[in-house]
Amino acid sequence: MQVADSTPGSDRQIQNPNAEPRFASPESRVPNPVSRARMTSGQLRDSHCLEFLITNQNSDGGWGYHPASLSAVEATAWGLAALISSRRAPPPAEVCARARDWLLQAQQTDGSWPPFPGQPQGCWVTSIASQALHLHGGAQNAVQRGLHWLLNAWPAEGTVWWRLRQTLFPSRVARQDSSLRGWNWTPGTASWVEPTAHALLFLRSLPMEILPPQAAKRRQLAECMLFDRMCPGGGWNSGNPLVYGVAGVPRIGPTAWALLALRNHSERPEIQTSLGWLEGTYGAIHGAASLALAHRCLTAYGRRVSPLAPALGELYSPNHFFDSMLTNAWIVLALNEEGSAVVPTAGEAANR
Amino acid sequence: MSFAQPSLMPSFTRPPSRVAIVRSARYDLDLGAVLFRALKEFDLPVKGFKVLLKPNFVESDPEGVINTHPAVVGAVRETFLRLGAESVRVAEGPAHERDMEAILETIRLRNFLGPLPGLFVDLNLDEVHAVNLRTRASKLKQLYLPRTVLEADYIVSLPKLKTHHWAGVTLSLKNMFGIVPGCCYGWPKNVLHWAGITPSLLDINSTVRPDFAIVDGIIGMEGNGPIQGSPKPSGVLILGDDPVAVDATCARVMGLAPERIDYLAKAGMLLGHLKPEKIRQLGECVASVRTPFAVLPAFQRLVAAKGK
Repeated sequence: MQVADSTPGSDRQIQNPNAEPRFASPESRVPNPVSRARMTSGQLRDSHCLEFLITNQNSDGGWGYHPASLSAVEATAWGLAALISSRRAPPPAEVCARARDWLLQAQQTDGSWPPFPGQPQGCWVTSIASQALHLHGGAQNAVQRGLHWLLNAWPAEGTVWWRLRQTLFPSRVARQDSSLRGWNWTPGTASWVEPTAHALLFLRSLPMEILPPQAAKRRQLAECMLFDRMCPGGGWNSGNPLVYGVAGVPRIGPTAWALLALRNHSERPEIQTSLGWLEGTYGAIHGAASLALAHRCLTAYGRRVSPLAPALGELYSPNHFFDSMLTNAWIVLALNEEGSAVVPTAGEAANR
Repeated sequence: MSFAQPSLMPSFTRPPSRVAIVRSARYDLDLGAVLFRALKEFDLPVKGFKVLLKPNFVESDPEGVINTHPAVVGAVRETFLRLGAESVRVAEGPAHERDMEAILETIRLRNFLGPLPGLFVDLNLDEVHAVNLRTRASKLKQLYLPRTVLEADYIVSLPKLKTHHWAGVTLSLKNMFGIVPGCCYGWPKNVLHWAGITPSLLDINSTVRPDFAIVDGIIGMEGNGPIQGSPKPSGVLILGDDPVAVDATCARVMGLAPERIDYLAKAGMLLGHLKPEKIRQLGECVASVRTPFAVLPAFQRLVAAKGK
C-alpha cells in the first residue's frame, strides 16, 4: 500500500465509528487449529461437512465465513439451516441452540440483520437469518420482526422520482422493467436476483396465517421481477440480462436460487428453459458450492442428476473447499435432499 | 488497526511517474524473467514486505480472455519474492460470481501458484473493518474493507487490458472495485453503481491506492468488455509505480485518449499523472506497441486522434 504520507499523526488510523462489533473479541473464535472435513473412500458424506461445521463453530455460537474468523450472520444462518436439515445424523441440540441465540442477539431493533454484528444497517441477510430461525423454531417473535422489516424494505428503483427519470432519460445500455421490484442487497440500491430469491424462499416457508396482507403483493411483484430479469436464453446472472442488446451469460448461483424461489411456477416455459440450461451446465461445474446449489435445485424439480458425493470428493482434494463454511453448509443441505422428492413445506403448500 | 494511506497531492506537486512497457507475445514464455528485468529498474522497496496481488478474476472463463492470465499472476508473485518480499498473497473479490473456487479451478490458478489455501484470499468473504474514505467524490463517506487489504504493506493491482461497457476501460484503478466485499455489499457491488462509478472509483483509490500496477495486455479484450468483448492480442505488459500513469499509458496503447475517460481525467488531478510529459517512459515507447482497440459506439468519443 502507498506509504507516501509520512506526517506524524496524520490520518493513518482506521476510524471505526461503530467501534468493535459486539462479538468481535478474539476469545469468541475457535481456539483450536482448523478442523477440516475428513473424507474417506473418495466420497464426501454429509457427516464430514457436519463435523466441519460443528467443530468450527465459534465459542460465541456463530460461524465466520472461515474457521476462526469473526462470526457473520450469513454464515451462521446457513450453518444453522444445515444442521437442522441433517436427518441422518442430527447434531447436538446445544450446537443449534447456541447458533440460534447468536442470531437472536445479532438482530437489530428494527428486526433486520446486518452482515456482521455491530454494523448499523440491516440488509439482504435478514431473509436468510429469519428463515434459519423459523426452521429452528422457538423464536417466532424474531421471525415476525424480520418479516416485518423485509415487507417494508423497498429497493431504490421504482420510486416516482426514479421512474420519472427513466421516462425522461431511458437507459440506452440495459433494459428492464423498473416497476417490478424485489429486494436489494443493501438499502438504497436496486433489486437483484439473489436477495429477491432469498426473500421469496423465506416468505414461502411461512404458514399463510402469519403473513400480513401486503406479503402476497410483494411476492407477486418479486416473482414478476425475477422473470423480467431472466437472461434471454434461460438462467439468471448477477448483472444485467441484456446489455447493449447482447444477452447476458447466466451463472449457476443466481440461476439456482431463482429457480428454487420460483418452484410454484414450474410449468412456465421460462422455468423449463432455465432448468435445461442448468442441466446442460451441471457436468462442467468446477466449484463445490455451485455444484451443491445446482444439485439441490435440480433435485427440487425432480430432475435426475448424477450422485453428488463422488463429484464432491473430486473437488475436495485440491483446495479442501477453501475451508468455506457456506460451501460445507450448502453441501449438507444438498446431500440431505438428495434422492428424496422435495415436498413443499406446509407454508408453501398453503401459499400456492 | 492502522494502515498506511496514500498521499493526495495535486499533480503539479508530484514527481514524475515511471511506466514501463515490455513486450511479451505469449503466456508460455518466461514471464518471470521478463518481469524481473523490468521491475529491477524500479528499485522497489519491497524487501520484508507483505505484498498483496490483486488480479482481475471476474468469471469462470476457460478461454483466458476475461481474467488476468494466471501465468502473469504466477510470474508476478515469483518476481516479488525474488525482490525480497516476505510474503506474496493473491486476493480478489469478484463482482458477479460468488463461487471463487469455480473461477480459480476453471483458470487453473494452482498450476501456476501451487496449493492455493492460505495463499489465496476471497475478499468477498474476508473479515472487514469500517474505513472512512479520504475523499468525498461520492456520497459513500465510509466503506467496509477487507482486513487482508488493510494489513498488506504493498498492493499491486494486476488487471487485464480491457474495454468496459460502463466506464470505457477497466484497468488498474477500476480493478480496485474488487476489494469491496460482497458479503457486505452483494454481487454485484451495486452500492458503488448507485454512488456513481467515477466518484466511487476515486474515493476507493484515494483511500487504498495501489502501490504498483502491472497490466496484462498480452491478450486484451476489445468491444463489449469487460465480459463479452473479443480477444485482442496486444503482446505487452504495462507496469509502473503510479496507477493513473499506467492506466493513461494503457489507454494510449489502446488508441484511446485518457483525458476523455471520465474517471481517468479526474484521477489525474489528485491521484497521479495523466500527461505524457509527467510520465517517464521505460522500455518500449507507446507508438511502437499501439494496438487500437474497437470500442462500442457509445465510447467512440474516447478514440484518440490519429498520431496522438
